[in-house]
Amino acid sequence: MNRTQAGRRLVAVAAALALGVLTACGGGGNSGGGSGSADKADLVWQFWVGGTEDQAAWQKVGDQAKADHAGITVKLQGTDWNSYWSKIGTLLASGKAPCIIGMQSLRTASYASAMLPLDDLITKYGLKTEDFDKPIMDGLKVNGKQIAIPYDSGPMVIFYNRDLFTQAGVPEPKPGWTMDEFKAAAKKLTTGGRTGLVTTPGDLSVASWVRTLTGAEPLADGKLAFTDPKFQQGFAGYSDFVHTDKIAPAVPSGNADFETTQFTAGKAAMQLNGPWSLIDTKGKVKFKLGIAPIPAGPDGSKTYTAGSGFGISRSCKTPDAAFQAIMSMTSEKPLTTLAAAGRAYPARTAAHPAWFTAAGIDGAKETLDYASEHSVPLVTSKNWVQVSDLLTRFGTQALNGEVPPDQALKTIQDQAGAGS
Amino acid sequence: MATDTTTVTSPRDVPPGKAPAGRRPALRRDGRSAGVFLAPGLAGLALFTLFPTAMALGISLFDWPVFGERSFLGLDNYSHLLHDPVFRRVVLNTALFVVLYVPLNVVVSLGLAVWLGPKIKGRQAFRVLFFIPVMTPMVANVMVWRLLFQPDGLIDSGLQTWFGVHAPNFLGSSSWAMPAIVAMSIWQGFGYNFLVFSAALDQVPQSQLESAQIDGAGALHRFRYVVWPMITPSIFFATTMTLITSFQVFAQPFILTQGGPGVSTQTIVMYVYNQGWQFLNMGLAAAAGWVLFVIIMGLSAIQFIGQKRWVHHDV
Repeated sequence: MNRTQAGRRLVAVAAALALGVLTACGGGGNSGGGSGSADKADLVWQFWVGGTEDQAAWQKVGDQAKADHAGITVKLQGTDWNSYWSKIGTLLASGKAPCIIGMQSLRTASYASAMLPLDDLITKYGLKTEDFDKPIMDGLKVNGKQIAIPYDSGPMVIFYNRDLFTQAGVPEPKPGWTMDEFKAAAKKLTTGGRTGLVTTPGDLSVASWVRTLTGAEPLADGKLAFTDPKFQQGFAGYSDFVHTDKIAPAVPSGNADFETTQFTAGKAAMQLNGPWSLIDTKGKVKFKLGIAPIPAGPDGSKTYTAGSGFGISRSCKTPDAAFQAIMSMTSEKPLTTLAAAGRAYPARTAAHPAWFTAAGIDGAKETLDYASEHSVPLVTSKNWVQVSDLLTRFGTQALNGEVPPDQALKTIQDQAGAGS
Repeated sequence: MATDTTTVTSPRDVPPGKAPAGRRPALRRDGRSAGVFLAPGLAGLALFTLFPTAMALGISLFDWPVFGERSFLGLDNYSHLLHDPVFRRVVLNTALFVVLYVPLNVVVSLGLAVWLGPKIKGRQAFRVLFFIPVMTPMVANVMVWRLLFQPDGLIDSGLQTWFGVHAPNFLGSSSWAMPAIVAMSIWQGFGYNFLVFSAALDQVPQSQLESAQIDGAGALHRFRYVVWPMITPSIFFATTMTLITSFQVFAQPFILTQGGPGVSTQTIVMYVYNQGWQFLNMGLAAAAGWVLFVIIMGLSAIQFIGQKRWVHHDV
């Protein structure tokens, strides 16, 4: 082989390698999408799990598909929450995503274009959507199309330390309690190195507090509305909890656990949280745990609901089988089993009693029913992940009094744009 | 004088550009062998480094969302980065980290390596001790430092107990967050350079140090005129590698502060990660990645050119 021939071969090999990689990156493959028919398919399910025990518990949910349809199997591929979204983004973009995808309501808008709208399948297979909590069914819709079927849901509520309330002689909150009552209680509870509340610049917390304080929503007509004066006013009120009212401690940056650890360690008497954390929190704390709705602002108690469910990737070759599997995975039996194990507040109303029994907290049902009535889904923009990231970082500055709240919101709006 | 009838061709007799005729087959064989041995490495380099680098350059010229339509933008992504106040701040943050971290890392690791000279008892145990943070997972290290730094953390609680005052909100203050990250990074990373310097110091001949001592040189003079010239190759290696890795700093600010408060601790690699994998905007991420690549290449080139003035390879 002379030098010219060798050179040509080298070029040919390089081109083949490049094409191979391009093909692999470019999508169009079908290995992830599975194959089969409506009644017979081996499906892969990508979902966030917290460890081997979690993986085993969720695999049992997947096994419900096999129990209901002999020809359909669901194999769970678990990824931890922090890596899940970058992994799923890559898989969906490559066209090699598994059929069944775990989806959180706040991120649904970001990933919707790679997911299959389920409305036709819902009609075809007669899924009764009215059996699920309405706010979370709506929260998993994008432009009116159902992107995922929920397994859990929940309105944001106040978790509180009943022992600290008793010690301070503060009456325990009841549905309908006002912002003035909340602030008075928090001030009285801020003593001895403890605070009445602990805050976070996280999206659900900020949006819920702003909504109850002024009724403002983060989006208006689908566009980010952080520079809306009512939103700014609500956010300023929330920031005041830390640097003006001093009923909450300064916030560290980038520590999503800070709020929970302050509360569970008994250093803060109250926190805003979702029912999905309630039973887990109860297991961690050494005090009596209570829950109450978010305090009522001028127009009453207003909060947001969030939750998660399962959808189907557009690259799935057997959407019918995948949908039947999802119907099984979100049916009453597995959701009741999950509820009894205290994993998540179920999206199906029929499974609620099992969850309340597992929770064993006085007034939990009354509070959650009240909060659900006063909640709407937090519908997000396509670039909400960016908005949420910016809110966490610039919100920390606002809560700690480093920058004025309206300036922090303007920076976020400038960075994120309209976000449609 | 008898004349040797066998002709040995000296390389000096061969016209420039031509290999000695008698050795050509052997060289060819060597070349082929070298090619075979190098092929896997070169293929890996081409496939996993050169090709993605070239791809990234291509992607940086596009609006390349992870989902949806892609469109050619030319240099618009680079123009966006130039005019984006956040990216400018991110570049400044990275430079600030490098300026604080690299000299401190070298001073701490070299200082400790010198201090742990051959006469120190238990130096092997110290070497292991100092290297432990390098081996332990970064995430675990960062979690421990977070417990130190956060409000009501170990430092804050200690100050409250002993002096009745609060510590600064290290991770929640724009002024304190970067120094906190630098401090944590030095603790985590100095062990590597410490080992490099320790090994270099062990190579300095005792006889030369003793000779200098006999000639009346004090400790500082012995270090300046005997030890320093001998360890300059190691110093050059350590500073070059530390500079490159510190420009790529990601894990510490990502886990400790998520780049906040605001963008006060966001670095270029974090910006690339956020744009690409969080916000699904591959074009802008690739452009930012190329900006970082050019900065690192430029500074490394300057270091390699400058080394001729102070690195003694022939000592």
